[in-house]
Amino acid sequence: MSEHVRAPGRRAKDALLGYALVAPSLVLFGVFVFYPFGKNFWLALHRTPPFPGLPKKYVGLDQVGDVLSSPEFQKSLKVTVLFVLYTVPTGIVLGLLLAVLAHRQLKGMTVYRTIFSSTVATSVAAASVIFFTLLNPQVGLFTYWLGRSGDLGVLEDPTTALIAVSITTIWQTLGLSFILMSAGLQGVPDDLEEAAAVDGASAPRRFWHVTLPMLSPTLFFAAVVGSITAFQAFGQIDLLTEGGPNNETNVLVYSVYKDVFRYGNDGVAAVKAIALFFIVLILTVVQLRFAERRVSYAR
Amino acid sequence: MRAERPAGVAERRRRRLRLAGRYLLMTGLALVVLFPIYITVVNSLLRPDQIAARPPSLFPTDPQWSSYRIAWTDGHMGRYLLNSAIVTTAIMVGQVVLAILAAYAFAFLEFPGRGVLFVVFLATMMVPFEVVFFTNYHTIADLGLLDTYGGLILPFLATGFGAFLLRQAFLTVPRDLRDAAALDGYGHFRFLWHVAVPLARPTVAALGVFAFLSAWGQYLWPLVATNDEHARTVQVGLRQLRDTSLDNINVTFAGVVLASIPLVLLLLVFQRQLVRGLTAGAVKG
Amino acid sequence: MHRARRSVLLVAAVAGIALALVPVGASPAGAASGKCPVKALDQAKSKPVDIVMWHSMPRASEETLQRLTDQFNASQGDVRVKLLNTTSYDDTFTKYRAGLGGGDLPDVVQIQDTSLQGMIDSQSVVPIAACIKADKYDTSDFVPRVLDYWTVANTLYGMPFNVSNPVFYYNKLAFEKAGLDPNKPPATLEEVRAAAQKLVDSGTTKYGYSIKLDPWYLEHWLAKAGKPYVNNSNGRKQRATSVVFDTKAGQEIFSWLDSMVDDKLALNTGPPAGNIDNLLAIGAGNAAMTIDTSGNLGTILQVLGSGQFPNVEIGVAPMPGPVGKGGVLVGGAALYIPKSSSPEKQAAAWKFIKFLDEPASQAQWSVGTGYVPVRKSAIEDPVLEAAWAKTPEYKVAYDQLVTGVNNVATAGPVIGPYSAVREAVVNALTQMLTQGVDPKAALATAADKSNQEIEAYNARVG
Repeated sequence: MSEHVRAPGRRAKDALLGYALVAPSLVLFGVFVFYPFGKNFWLALHRTPPFPGLPKKYVGLDQVGDVLSSPEFQKSLKVTVLFVLYTVPTGIVLGLLLAVLAHRQLKGMTVYRTIFSSTVATSVAAASVIFFTLLNPQVGLFTYWLGRSGDLGVLEDPTTALIAVSITTIWQTLGLSFILMSAGLQGVPDDLEEAAAVDGASAPRRFWHVTLPMLSPTLFFAAVVGSITAFQAFGQIDLLTEGGPNNETNVLVYSVYKDVFRYGNDGVAAVKAIALFFIVLILTVVQLRFAERRVSYAR
Repeated sequence: MRAERPAGVAERRRRRLRLAGRYLLMTGLALVVLFPIYITVVNSLLRPDQIAARPPSLFPTDPQWSSYRIAWTDGHMGRYLLNSAIVTTAIMVGQVVLAILAAYAFAFLEFPGRGVLFVVFLATMMVPFEVVFFTNYHTIADLGLLDTYGGLILPFLATGFGAFLLRQAFLTVPRDLRDAAALDGYGHFRFLWHVAVPLARPTVAALGVFAFLSAWGQYLWPLVATNDEHARTVQVGLRQLRDTSLDNINVTFAGVVLASIPLVLLLLVFQRQLVRGLTAGAVKG
Repeated sequence: MHRARRSVLLVAAVAGIALALVPVGASPAGAASGKCPVKALDQAKSKPVDIVMWHSMPRASEETLQRLTDQFNASQGDVRVKLLNTTSYDDTFTKYRAGLGGGDLPDVVQIQDTSLQGMIDSQSVVPIAACIKADKYDTSDFVPRVLDYWTVANTLYGMPFNVSNPVFYYNKLAFEKAGLDPNKPPATLEEVRAAAQKLVDSGTTKYGYSIKLDPWYLEHWLAKAGKPYVNNSNGRKQRATSVVFDTKAGQEIFSWLDSMVDDKLALNTGPPAGNIDNLLAIGAGNAAMTIDTSGNLGTILQVLGSGQFPNVEIGVAPMPGPVGKGGVLVGGAALYIPKSSSPEKQAAAWKFIKFLDEPASQAQWSVGTGYVPVRKSAIEDPVLEAAWAKTPEYKVAYDQLVTGVNNVATAGPVIGPYSAVREAVVNALTQMLTQGVDPKAALATAADKSNQEIEAYNARVG
């Protein structure tokens, strides 16, 4: 640092400038992150009226206990975890498969790469609207191919709704997964693979023992970030099932949304939101922890 | 390379067969990945009764472009796309500018509490938007900003992630460059604009593309923060379109295509920056 | 870095706790007053008085509403109305609720039927009864059941505007093919079942009847049977504290639906999450009968007119259901005047609302949208007479509303957490129709869950 050559006045000016530069962000964080975050805790302790302006009643931890022990919340949690389990590993494996296939420099590979990454150009809403229509029980093409035309719709059937939502999600995020995995593969030095090849290791063995460990930071990152994203899923639920049938797709964020926007119950919503916060927090901490240890040995 | 190369027709044929198998597999997968997109385009050009016909038509022999006109005018897609473009651009520019400013302060300026403030910035990354959106909804409503661009933009202007990313990039600016600039009498803003930002350009671009991409795809916030078409974005417009054109789904499909075109164009131009932006987190490990 | 991370958590936790302790101010809603300043328009400082109405009408109906509004604006110089389309009933209600916290509010707001108790609980509107009294407005020409619907504890809260109700739709061509009389649609549940059986047996359609999984089966059919839905006289004497639908009559309704699906006579097309699959099923030849709102008739006729479904000729009939001393319920929306508006704007709003409910306006409205007129004399309006003579299907929903007796059951239930109760009923129906839960247990589950919701809601307003 060169501050020792600077005049004290200059240092004060620097400091002022420093505050000025972070101030806009800080104000926005205060209003849109820390205030609502703190308010969640306040709301969680209060029974809130269905309309603003009516009195809120302090109920201590009663509401927290009621919500956490309610079958609805537990079902919602279960559904969310299932959704994460359905979408994240499948998405990673498929992305990795595509990335491995497209990794070798062969003729026409640019075309394949473009196709494999094409779904990043869609959005959750676009993908959901596409699948919603293709899965329509009366006129949907997929329903027709599944031989279910004119029967109970896939999205209305409690046994298949979450799977259909998951498939939509996997498809929509496949492009992203592919790009991530490709970038990871590019980070694996070719000479390592070649050395293993010289040692006479077969291709599957090479992949399992050389490539995969080298990829572990990418895989880990994809798993954690993917899970965090999946825990926050909302759009596909709203567009495909609205949480139904019989709450089989009522993931956490959707249930928070319903509490606030359909039932005007911010107190209950706050409890669920805090639960979501802690889940994501744990995932983040796990990521930071592991990022240090297990994964760094590959470096 | 192996020392002895096992020549022979059998080996070469096996290799060629394996290669063919690889292409076959990739082509199959490519078709699966592409199919929903393909059928969306096709269905947008069919008449509703053709879409419902069985066996299905998989090729538009008699393309009907009117669906696009209906989606654009009656479905308000033109308006929604404009709204999305305004909101997304504002969020992107805002995030990049605010992140540059904050990152500069954290990387180059000394001030009491800098460490704590940086931690505060990082802490914002721990609070997902989905955890706080409904209180933000009330805040925006109380400010009278529902159904305005301001209401859609404000909550997303500041970014802890962006500030963190750019600070890392700024820290790699060699110290002697800074000293040299100081000796040349560069003020902070000149240094920022002429030295620091150009050097961190790949990161800035990555952040910009990333910000654009996430803002463009937003659904939850525009859904709750808009109730009429004045500021409603294209993603929520799709929902609107789906609900109002149940009787002619070709219009819905046309809407999906229209909503995706800007992103396709963007990605074609900024492919590299996108990959950087998306993998930024992975690289930081 | 390690320490930095720990302090991140620390800061987050401290910030959270600190903020949790700060009480967040709650401002009471505007001073409660049951007065309606109908004369305030005379004292307005400047004219015209500009008012805004939030509505949720889809495109086709919006055009008619705009035309009526233009007529009103052109007809006088005191009031100028601007319409704002707030997309859907749910969106409008949410936006209105958010506005009560201090944000934007309109001067007239169109709110759906089920939010009646909510609007009362919000303590934010001028009861229409107050305007009627202050203005000595004559309501004797209104369809009685329609007024009944928005009257709670003898006070009319919202002014009925757009009214619809579920009717029976069937495919006449399929009926003919199956050997049924296309001009004699089934009127009872037994007849629906018999018709479905014939449609399936003759191979005309895969299923006979398609079920939109809507809570109205329970609501309307109990009303037809003359049975209330919630206690305290359907919540009209005082706030309802529990549902009363878990009875023999309720079980019969659930059982009928269950057996129809079990016997493959009916197709469950799921809850109405923006879907018209029950109607599409008729178009696709998978069913030939369904129940849906009369509000969809315009769209149906328009789609059929386009020739998309040549195998369908739609017939409309009164909704079949249990036989009893009652009738179908009123559906649709009413207009409310928020207290937050200034007296002259409230007076302006009242003037506009009166215009929208004039017989001639209601006749135009009905012709343009398919909604049922809320005024009896509207049906003598030549415009409406001509339209109904041309398309008699539109008249069915009106006739339903003026047949049967009017009592507490046909006034319909008033429930605070109406949408939560509806969800409980739909979830129970889903369990019954797709997961093999038997009708009795399903209905009991619906009742239990509904009672929990009502109790929780009442605790929040009480």
